[in-house]
Amino acid sequence: MTRFQHADGLLGHIKGLKGAPQPKRTLWVCGGPGCLAAGGAKVHEALLNEAEKAGLLGNPGYRISLTGCLGLCERGPLAEIRPEGHFYQNVGPGDAPGLVGEALLEGRIVEGLIKDPKNPTKDSLAFYKPQERRVMRRLGLIDPESLDDYLLHGGYEALALALGSLGPGETARRVEESGLRGRGGGGFPAGRKWRALRESVGRPRYVLANGDEGDPGAFMNRALMEGDPFSIIEGMTLGAFAMGAEAGFIYVRHEYPLSVMRLSKAIRLAKDRGLLGEGILGSDVGFELGIVEGGGAFVCGESTALMASIEGREGTPRVKYVRSTEAGLWERPTLLQNVESWANVPPIVLNGPEWFRSLGSKDNPGTKVFSLVGQVRDTGLVELPLGSRISDLVELAGGGVAKGRALKAVQTGGPSGGCLPASLMSLPLDFDSLTKAGAMMGSGGLIVMDDLSCVVDVARYFTAFLTEESCGKCVPCRDGLPLLLGVLTGLTKGEGRAGDTGLLVREAERLKATALCGLGQSAANPILSTVRYFQEEYLEHERGFCRSGRCQGLFVPAIDPGACTGCGLCRKACPAAAIEGKAKKAHKVLPGKCVSCGSCLPKCRFLALKPAPRADTVKADA
Amino acid sequence: MPEWVKGSIDGIPAKAPYGTSLLHAARALGIDIPTLCHHEGLPPDGNCRLCLCEVSGKLVASCMFPLRDQGFAALTGSAKVMDARGFVLYLMLNRAPKSPRLIRLAHDYEAYGARVDPRFPLDRDGCVRCGRCARVCSLQASEAIDLAGRGPGRAVLAPFGRPPEDCLGCLACALNCPTGRIAFQDDGATRRVWDRDFALVPCPACGERRFTKEQLGHLGVESALCPECRRRAMAREILAADSVISYKARG
Ligand SMILES: Cc1cc2nc3c(=O)[nH]c(=O)nc-3n(C[C@H](O)[C@H](O)[C@H](O)COP(=O)(O)O)c2cc1C
Ligand code: FES
Repeated sequence: MTRFQHADGLLGHIKGLKGAPQPKRTLWVCGGPGCLAAGGAKVHEALLNEAEKAGLLGNPGYRISLTGCLGLCERGPLAEIRPEGHFYQNVGPGDAPGLVGEALLEGRIVEGLIKDPKNPTKDSLAFYKPQERRVMRRLGLIDPESLDDYLLHGGYEALALALGSLGPGETARRVEESGLRGRGGGGFPAGRKWRALRESVGRPRYVLANGDEGDPGAFMNRALMEGDPFSIIEGMTLGAFAMGAEAGFIYVRHEYPLSVMRLSKAIRLAKDRGLLGEGILGSDVGFELGIVEGGGAFVCGESTALMASIEGREGTPRVKYVRSTEAGLWERPTLLQNVESWANVPPIVLNGPEWFRSLGSKDNPGTKVFSLVGQVRDTGLVELPLGSRISDLVELAGGGVAKGRALKAVQTGGPSGGCLPASLMSLPLDFDSLTKAGAMMGSGGLIVMDDLSCVVDVARYFTAFLTEESCGKCVPCRDGLPLLLGVLTGLTKGEGRAGDTGLLVREAERLKATALCGLGQSAANPILSTVRYFQEEYLEHERGFCRSGRCQGLFVPAIDPGACTGCGLCRKACPAAAIEGKAKKAHKVLPGKCVSCGSCLPKCRFLALKPAPRADTVKADA
Repeated sequence: MPEWVKGSIDGIPAKAPYGTSLLHAARALGIDIPTLCHHEGLPPDGNCRLCLCEVSGKLVASCMFPLRDQGFAALTGSAKVMDARGFVLYLMLNRAPKSPRLIRLAHDYEAYGARVDPRFPLDRDGCVRCGRCARVCSLQASEAIDLAGRGPGRAVLAPFGRPPEDCLGCLACALNCPTGRIAFQDDGATRRVWDRDFALVPCPACGERRFTKEQLGHLGVESALCPECRRRAMAREILAADSVISYKARG
């Protein structure tokens, strides 16, 4: 492969690609994290075997390839046939003959494999309707390991434009005026950071990408690194050009070997073609990019800990009164952005700030990828304009709470985010609204909780996570979190005391004010937000009652005879034989026998079972 | 970059070279701020949070906070500051309930009256994990010990939990520990610290044993005067030099 010696050479090559005959049909198999976990690689293998049998391998008219995350992970493995757009869910290796013989060769809908053959495309599904896939636009359209695929879909046009006519100043101006805010946590305006780096003194300057993605259950950054690695690399190259940085690193979470592999390969390909390294596109601009595997701790995603980790030291945060853009990595001017922030850069530079601002709201322009998980019908990755309502995500895309149960709360922003009650579902999903409501955007994780989820238990769960993940350096975080955890654990075990709720709030506020880094400062959020919206439930726990039927021993299930149909599901689920009743007659709980384990609660399809206070454990109101 | 920044501390006009820590600027005015993890001879770390002060409504660790803005207004004893210090003292007391220094400080900040919650599941081993021992060790001696582990389990440890091979027995760690947690014995012939025994080498002048063999080896010498004899020797030298000067003056 030859190096592009000039921007025009690159654009000519792209033109050639676009003019070249395309495959008649392509079968894209989702290679995103969810589908791979569900067996996507096996499906891909079976499809290739089938294609070989049919003599299609090497035939340029037909293509079978893995692609990035298609989003609807709940129903994976997924596959899509293009150009028809027929969308196949829950496919298995056994479906390979049909998918190759009928779908790939003839473009027909394989009978029985699409539930609603009248609406066979992705876009007809409710899950995709509210979405605007900008950051994820190439996921599903390209082989992440192919530079030509990337180029065919708009890749590196922004770099050619920046180096060719915009120059560093205009490139930076476009990003600044786009109003892009950091997608990794705080939503800090990227433009302000860029300006600070441009004005910094000292060399070399570094640009870094944060791909540490420590929030449990979140995988949008992984999907991006594995599904469209070039977009991150091009974004960083643009940043380096605009800010005069000569080197950079992508810091990738320890548990993501495939991300490391894809990014490494993309870096190598970009270098070979003169898109990275010395003399980019024949100019005198140079940018060296490397990959660093994460230290394997949640706190390594914090900026100063991340830099310490790249320097080869223990990944613990430092006191930060001097900005990284002044003294960061190796005490040199450094700019860190989340990988999704970087992926937003090329289209902003190419299409201009107005284009970026055409979605989202004034102070929160653009789109954001959310990872939707928990008690919701459809889980997966959803990209929405910022400022969309929480209900757009949960109800429209997610299809509402799973199993017809009632929505209790959503938890946003990762472990140090907050819980918002069902009454706030029309709140706009943007950085400021979420923060004001006591939650956080974080990296865009959203967990749906139904009425059988206990907020005190949720606060305990996240506080336990943060206690474990605290680096242990500063006193408030290291020793304050165990104190809070001790009280929360007591509440969920029926050892709560009157006044515990007040104690929690007081000490949580102090932790927030005194901790050294962002982890400790935000670690109080799970407690503060749940007390803010669900104080009643905390007070009930002080008295030994869990209305959600989650904290064992703190409730007894009560059957509403009017709603009970006598189906017997709860009776069969009870390990203590504490439910009795004849078929089709209302059942009854025997409180003496009930061990208050909660096994029966999710079984009832008529919502006739409700947790009630236990007569023997409820403490007198103090 | 301005050479000096001007502002106020507790309402008192203050002026300091650009980048001076708030702690130093306050001490220069005679304003005392309690510290624990901080030591003038060691790189600052800002981990104990005892020195927290208020700047523009926010709490900052004064031992590390650089004064860079003209017109800064810092408060070293506001209600917010006192409450914050009380909180960290309370937490540290739960680690080192017998530390005289913490008990004394706690009286000032009303933290000791706080009930020690039995649900507070911490190792009350007397160590507040400020890392002064590890910092002084790596700076002066050998990185024989370090803080290791995460979260509440973080602790000062020797590698592999064994008596540290690189330890010189210099006691810099123990003498720098603000809570007196690091135990050692010294019977005038051998010294025991970190579960290791060190032979002490006699002072060539008075025979007093003050240095370990490892310490002297680290300095590249076989023996050395004890501090007292060294001082005496130095004084003698100065006196001798003095007499030379006075002799010349007379002549
Ligand atoms: C405890 C902690 C963990 C963090 N983890 C991540 C992470 O996994 N990924 C990330 O992009 N930012 C993380 N951040 C935020 C980063 O410190 C930093 O603000 C961000 O990477 C900046 O990029 P952005 O402005 O593009 O969002 C974390 C912050 C804290 C305090
Ligand atoms: S003395 Fe400043 S944080 Fe410990």
